[in-house]
Amino acid sequence: MKIDLRSILVLAVIGACFIVLPLAIDLGSSTMNILILLFVYIILSQSWNLLGGFTGQINLGFAAFFGCGVLLTHLLWKSGVPIYLAIAVGGLSAALLAGVIGLPTLHLRGAYFAIGTIALAEALRILVGNVFPSSLSLPGTYASNFNVFPRYYLGFGIAVLTMISVYLLVKSKFGLAMVCVRDDEEASQVTGINTFKTKFIALLVSAFLAGLAGGVYSFNRFYFHHISAVFEPIWTFEPLMAVVIGGSGTLIGPVMGSIFLVVLSEIFAEILGEAHLIIFGVLLIPVVLYSPSGLVGWIDWLKKVIGGVGKPLVSEER
Amino acid sequence: MLEASNVSAFYGDLQALWNISLTIHEGEIVTFIGSNGAGKSTIMRTIAGLIKPKGGNILFEGIRLDRLSAHKIVDLGISMVPEGRRLFPEMTVLENLEVGASAKAASRLRYSHIHWIYELFPILKERSKQVAGTLSGGEQQMLAIGRALMAQPKLLLIDEMSLGLSPIVVEHILQVIQDVSRTKKLTIALVEQDVGIALSVANRGYIIEHGRIVMEGDTKSLQVDGRLMEAYLGVLKEEAE
Amino acid sequence: MGIFTQTIAYGILVGAMYGLITLGLGLLMGVMKFLNVAHGTFIVLGGYISYWVFTRYGVNPYLSIPLVIVVMFIIGLVVYKVTLSPLLKLPSIGNRLNSSMLITFGIIYVVDNLMTILWKPDVRSIVAPFTGRSIELFGTKFSVTGLCGFGVAIVVAVALYFVLGRTQFGKHVRAATQDAEAASLCGINVHRTYLISSGIAIALAGVAGVIIVSSYSISPNSGLRWLLVAFVVMILAGEGNIHAIVPAGLILGLLEAGGVLIVGAPYRQVVALVIFIVILIFRPQGLFRKRRLTYG
Repeated sequence: MKIDLRSILVLAVIGACFIVLPLAIDLGSSTMNILILLFVYIILSQSWNLLGGFTGQINLGFAAFFGCGVLLTHLLWKSGVPIYLAIAVGGLSAALLAGVIGLPTLHLRGAYFAIGTIALAEALRILVGNVFPSSLSLPGTYASNFNVFPRYYLGFGIAVLTMISVYLLVKSKFGLAMVCVRDDEEASQVTGINTFKTKFIALLVSAFLAGLAGGVYSFNRFYFHHISAVFEPIWTFEPLMAVVIGGSGTLIGPVMGSIFLVVLSEIFAEILGEAHLIIFGVLLIPVVLYSPSGLVGWIDWLKKVIGGVGKPLVSEER
Repeated sequence: MLEASNVSAFYGDLQALWNISLTIHEGEIVTFIGSNGAGKSTIMRTIAGLIKPKGGNILFEGIRLDRLSAHKIVDLGISMVPEGRRLFPEMTVLENLEVGASAKAASRLRYSHIHWIYELFPILKERSKQVAGTLSGGEQQMLAIGRALMAQPKLLLIDEMSLGLSPIVVEHILQVIQDVSRTKKLTIALVEQDVGIALSVANRGYIIEHGRIVMEGDTKSLQVDGRLMEAYLGVLKEEAE
Repeated sequence: MGIFTQTIAYGILVGAMYGLITLGLGLLMGVMKFLNVAHGTFIVLGGYISYWVFTRYGVNPYLSIPLVIVVMFIIGLVVYKVTLSPLLKLPSIGNRLNSSMLITFGIIYVVDNLMTILWKPDVRSIVAPFTGRSIELFGTKFSVTGLCGFGVAIVVAVALYFVLGRTQFGKHVRAATQDAEAASLCGINVHRTYLISSGIAIALAGVAGVIIVSSYSISPNSGLRWLLVAFVVMILAGEGNIHAIVPAGLILGLLEAGGVLIVGAPYRQVVALVIFIVILIFRPQGLFRKRRLTYG
């Protein structure tokens, strides 16, 4: 696996901006909120990418893990647990859920696995909707202590943590196993890779990270009209889109895709409201069909055209 | 009738045929021989339209084949019995034959053709309601040939007919093929592993090696020429004797 | 005794509908190995077309079925042409399957939101003179909409099986399913066969939608619910086993009705889900044996 210094440099620069900017300028709370949401998307899409882009397991019910993290973090925090712990437990609970789901479903081939994940996410959504039918909110004291900065930096920190863990995982021998399973599961089994264990661990880690994303999201919200909304498929669709458009199986892809997603959402939501999702759906199709390496692929192409070779951190061609 | 000039074909990035040029004359039986992987089947599949050649062209009665899709080529009058028979395993003998006449021209006379096939291979009539996957190897080969004949082709391509069949069955099938060739003036191109079979049936032959034609000629001269042994067995004639 | 037969009656009517819902999904999966996760969305779309015709022109929903078939068939052709046929160029089947899932997942968002714009997010259902009424036969009550749904399901299923089994086109479809390359060698235009099959599959979804909007209700996002039902039925039937779909639907309907009898109505979807998970774990190849024959 190649270490692409250029990619790391780009990420470092972006990261530095995120750290310094809010301290230097007053961005205003709505911008800060958008950025926090961006961090949530980065974490979510990177974790989906771990499972889907690197291990080849298309999970269409990812919202279950996110929602789990949101719900548990909210409940724990409300009952007095410190937020950092609440978020961590949120992540762990999502991982636990994944473990329970993973055992029966990972034996299944691609289509059935995807079907199983959608079904379970829907089931969870309905169940949660029945158990918590009314709105959930935090007591007033939390609101009076509100400060956006810790939320921002916590979100940023977890996003960085996600990037680093995925990087380390992908670079390790385990990462090699993941990609082998993605490329050809049968062949991997023949060469002695424990494909079930590989898929299972990838599932657990990605669920944990998704749960953390839920925790960050929860930290930033005081009121949920219907908590079951965080289990809705859109929380699978948007990270999935960010990954596919940004470039699946790469490290930068989900980041770029998330930025793209959030920026476009902001622009279009003004004009079109809910309908902005149509644009994303329409975009997804040509990207899947004709440009599977997404934005990263375009940038590679551009770089080759301009001169100099840039490669994603872990490329699909070995 | 059919003329290929400088045809090159690839499987992905792997080149399988290099500048192949050949001719098939009307009414003859031509054979392509060579060892495993030499490219014989590739030639058939390229003519039949399953592989699009890169470079060169193929003309059949003046029409360019290399741009057409496989089903249109069947319309023009070329039919192939593929390697491994490739029957529709869950459809009956009768249905396999019916489907064989899917091309436009053939579909009109479908039922009279089915009777003709039953005359050629009576065992198929016996088994007409049986599902193709349950037939024996020889019966399947007969069905595959029958299915290809349903398209009323002018040129019949047969790819590796004898694989896995007993000599008696092969003999029987060859007899039928030769009869049909004579009575219906059907042109046949045969790819065969078994050189003996190939040369006993054909008028002319091409020897293929590593995706190139290394020799061509009528069967008598091929039999005598040492290069056949060399190409097929990788052995010099002197060593073999 | 009465409640027992009532449960069975209900299970059969619902089960036939479940089978109808699944036919389109099963066809696409069996013939082309595409997983259309937008299937539920197309069902809802069919329902909206029927609803629109009903509210605008007062047309009885069951009479609107031919229109729905035509419109959805055309939509199916377009969907195939634009989004699915490029996938056929992909090298491996696994790749195709994954990409079809991603693409159709995107279609969900496009179409769901289009429907939201056109018809607003409210829940809609067709309320006609016959809605909510029931007939009494053999001492059991059958709802009128349920009976009509049952009738439509049987007619459609029989028609589909007839087309697949007896017509020339049906033979082309079966041949292309079993060996696409050999089919093209027989003169079958496999791409056109796939194109028309896609049209039929989406049209089937549309018809299911008509039944659903008359017997239940729809809203722009309700597609997922029906998709999951179709998944369960498809898995019960076994992959590619189109003939087993209606029987599998009936089984699901009966099991669900029986389950609801035991645990109570609010947990209906939980019953379906439990069945789903049990099947996935213990018998993922489905309940029905498909004669799988190899040759050579």
